[in-house]
Amino acid sequence: MPNPIISVRNAVKTYGKVRALDNVALDIREGEFLTLLGPSGSGKTTLLSAIAGFLSVTSGSIHARGAEITHLPPEKRDFAMVFQGYALFPTMTVAENVGYPLRVRKMPNAERAERVRECLELVQMSGFADRMPHQLSGGQQQRIALARALSFKPDVLLLDEPLSALDKKLRADLQWELKALHDRLGVTFIYVTHDQDEAMSMSDRVIILSDGSVQQEGAPAELYNRPRNKFVASFLGKSNFVPAQIRKQANGTYTAQVAQESFELSAEPEVNIDGKACLAIRPERVRLGLPGLECFAGRIRQISYLGERCLVLVDHEEFGEILISQTTWNASLPPEPNMEISFGWDCKACVPIAEN
Amino acid sequence: MPRSTLHIFFSTGCWMVLAFLVLPILVVIPVSFTDTAFIGLPRDGLSLQHYETFLRSPKWLQACLTSMWIGVLVAGISTILGTLFCIGVWFLSDRAATIARWVMIVPILVPPVVQSLGFYKFWVVLGLIDTHVGVILAHTLLALPYVTISVFAALTNLDRRIPQAARNLGASLPMTILTVIMPSIRPGMIAGALFAFTVSFDEIVGVLFLTVRRVETLPKVIWDGIQESIDPVIAAVATILVAITLFVTVFGLRGRKI
Repeated sequence: MPNPIISVRNAVKTYGKVRALDNVALDIREGEFLTLLGPSGSGKTTLLSAIAGFLSVTSGSIHARGAEITHLPPEKRDFAMVFQGYALFPTMTVAENVGYPLRVRKMPNAERAERVRECLELVQMSGFADRMPHQLSGGQQQRIALARALSFKPDVLLLDEPLSALDKKLRADLQWELKALHDRLGVTFIYVTHDQDEAMSMSDRVIILSDGSVQQEGAPAELYNRPRNKFVASFLGKSNFVPAQIRKQANGTYTAQVAQESFELSAEPEVNIDGKACLAIRPERVRLGLPGLECFAGRIRQISYLGERCLVLVDHEEFGEILISQTTWNASLPPEPNMEISFGWDCKACVPIAEN
Repeated sequence: MPRSTLHIFFSTGCWMVLAFLVLPILVVIPVSFTDTAFIGLPRDGLSLQHYETFLRSPKWLQACLTSMWIGVLVAGISTILGTLFCIGVWFLSDRAATIARWVMIVPILVPPVVQSLGFYKFWVVLGLIDTHVGVILAHTLLALPYVTISVFAALTNLDRRIPQAARNLGASLPMTILTVIMPSIRPGMIAGALFAFTVSFDEIVGVLFLTVRRVETLPKVIWDGIQESIDPVIAAVATILVAITLFVTVFGLRGRKI
């Protein structure tokens, strides 16, 4: 990777016997929107805190533009952070909050006032300069926190679940705004979240963490279409897992044998698979048909109608539960509980993953 | 109606407790206006003679002044030390810090006489007996627990991410403490300082142990006044103190509402 703005090398953080970070290594490109995605306790906030300098790693190192910053105090790093819960200074007005980084950098008053005005405009909060933080709504506080972080023109913006306290609609609006802001300013964003929709909709690149280690990294579409293991396949969207035998054919291609059916794989499996493996199949790629039309037979157990699509839970003798997501507008047959149906998928739907 | 009976029973109880607390304080007011030369209720009419004695007596005024400036110094020193201690403990917030916080409160649990005896023994060695420094030092130690309790209460309400935010935005640790933490815990610090002043202003046991002639605080002069003769000036002084306290309290409460 050409000249990463931040790189983390073999970072380990232990609390007693718990390994919050387990040998994490990653490079962050200048100007990218990178998301650290994982469930709570996966180490994503620990990693962000280590980058910000709030905690020191037990071993390993952190570099910024090639220089080691592992032991640099947070105020010397020039990474701005937007905190979960915003952490606005309660005794200062909005303008004083936004101007705080400039005040500690001893910027002259007139220049500072101008920059504060500019930043409030950037987040569309110009009329609120003299309010106190407690007089603002959650969404407004969030904008002020963003303006405060951007006021000193940092290279890197760290965002720790900044939208988690907001309601669903506001969150969706702010996602678009954040993405637009990122594209406009060209600042590197490192975004921490447990919400896969947030991660997918905004990021250039997503790093999925679990139990303190990196599970997989890549562009959102890449992670969704080619998950490497069961954790990624089930954390990012939903997946069905069916047991399969992977075989190399005489002509060099690979096939996956599921029950009596054989699926040709488009490429050599990325993961190290010796015979027994597992296929991850997205619910929307499973087709539902009339009995006898598809390769597997089952009985519908439950149906959940969601508007644009409906989820059908099918019991299969060998695989157990199979979840099928079907668009409702052109469904060939309206599914009903206890209906005997057949289902299947094509070769492209098969993603071989390691049995872990 | 049973509910109403219960209501009368409890409200009577409340008023009686209140009377029990307040009446002994209020009784000094008529006593201070007595026209007699001894402590008692006014006989033939009201008189301001004891207030006059108080205001004309250099001994009383001097003692008042001494208690004031000792109190202010004690409030200042103990608030600074207590606040620094609390911020340090809050930042560490580990086992040792919690233990340190509890040790800090121990002086409240020790009987004042025992503590004063300890001060006396130690101050003799240090040569601090009968000096203002000795009294200020003792009072600061007595006031510190109250300051730490009050300041720490304010700190527990402070979001830990706030100092992190300040440092992330470029403020050094001292800068963070001065510009972000201290303004946020100011109510706790002010309350602590008032507590400290009060502790020092009416402290008597330590002063009796540690001073002889050179240091004369108000409580000590009152004590001496009772020992020598039962002088109604004491009632006048008490009334003035009650009036000042009332004024400060009312003023403080009004200030809080605005």
